[in-house]
Amino acid sequence: MPPVADVRQRLVVAAYACVARHGMGKTTVEDIGREAGVSRATVYRYFPGGRDELLQAAVAHGVAEFAVRLYEQIQDAPSLEQVMERGILFAHRAIVEHEVLQRIMETEPELLLPQLTVEGNQVRAAVAAFLLPYLRAHGVASGVDDAEAADFLARMIMSYMTSPGRWDLDDPAQVSELVRAELLAGIVVGPEPSAPGPSGW
Amino acid sequence: MVRGGQGGAGSAWGRDEPAGSPSAPPRNRIIDAALACIVRQGVAKTTVDDVARAAGLSRATVYRVFPGGKDELLRSTAESQVATLFTELAARLSSENDVRGVLVTAISGAAAAIADHPALATLLDVEPEVVLRLLAFDEGSELLRMASTFGAPFLARWMPMEEAARVAEWACRIILTYVVDPSDRVDCTDPVAVGRLVETFVLPGVRALRGPAADEPFDLTSAATDRDAAGSARRSREHDHRHHRTDHHRKGEEVS
Repeated sequence: MPPVADVRQRLVVAAYACVARHGMGKTTVEDIGREAGVSRATVYRYFPGGRDELLQAAVAHGVAEFAVRLYEQIQDAPSLEQVMERGILFAHRAIVEHEVLQRIMETEPELLLPQLTVEGNQVRAAVAAFLLPYLRAHGVASGVDDAEAADFLARMIMSYMTSPGRWDLDDPAQVSELVRAELLAGIVVGPEPSAPGPSGW
Repeated sequence: MVRGGQGGAGSAWGRDEPAGSPSAPPRNRIIDAALACIVRQGVAKTTVDDVARAAGLSRATVYRVFPGGKDELLRSTAESQVATLFTELAARLSSENDVRGVLVTAISGAAAAIADHPALATLLDVEPEVVLRLLAFDEGSELLRMASTFGAPFLARWMPMEEAARVAEWACRIILTYVVDPSDRVDCTDPVAVGRLVETFVLPGVRALRGPAADEPFDLTSAATDRDAAGSARRSREHDHRHHRTDHHRKGEEVS
């Protein structure tokens, strides 16, 4: 019998493959078991939560794979600004070109969105945890809590990824402006004094 | 489109008369009935028949007003709620005296209104996917565009319209992230917590794109100019009174 981690991992990969092929709604526990070459009972032994738990693990697997590729893009970035710019440019392209993700977003967004947002604020937590060491290494302005800054950055980045709005995230100049103005300004410059200045701020 | 609190949402969304009563236009009665159905049973289980019954109208009447059926009815219901929120916010935003005040009131006010909205609260709880679908990708960008168009004139008292539109969209993103995914750290309905958030992360970013002269306050006269000459003329008429008042106020402070 293979070690636990192997079977678990095999099931997660199988779940991801089934979702890629049939979508989330039509993927069953039986499909996943067959894909992984294990019995239904074995699937439930590793994933007592059944289908929901497996789908969640498949999404997490997709996110993790994405994170590895993202890390490759930014690991040698020379500055915090570069980390953010490269990360956003890469993540935007990766999302737009991700066939499985795009197909699910088109046909069954209602199944994926809650996992990525409400239930899955793990994604936000993961993005924040990813950014925190960069913030610590760079240093944040006095009066800024670095964990709070990481959380705010994660929220903003997820917002731009799901809805670019006015920003063309394929344009490095715009991304640079976005990073400077809406992501790093407060973290690098520090809080405004709370008393409004003469200019009406 | 609701702009700058002028005109209000009434005519734009067909809500000039009190809705719900038998004398109200069918459109308003149907939307109110749809809201009641959503509060009771969520979106998925609400049918056109349910809404017709709750409105005291026939199914045929509902389809006459909303030929697109349930989808169109839901969309119009959502739009009417956004318009109501914009109208309520507009009154409060136009009495704010600085950028910080506009941002804090917009963010905490919208977040509180959303949190207190019975149908939205039900949806976020029971069928979050219905709400989320409106917030992601093309639909999400459309919502951001609407919010930006609505909010920009309030900020344009202190910065160019283009910049104001950017900041308004940014504020909308902040509202949405904290409403959909509430934080343990920041209660987005609390003006004090939002004030701190705005001071820490937003105001420095509002200043950031203003170039080397970032310490100089924006010229309040040029702040009203827009690329669109007609829009500019209209807006400066609307804001004339306020500009003069703020300008004097500012000069007074600089002297002291």
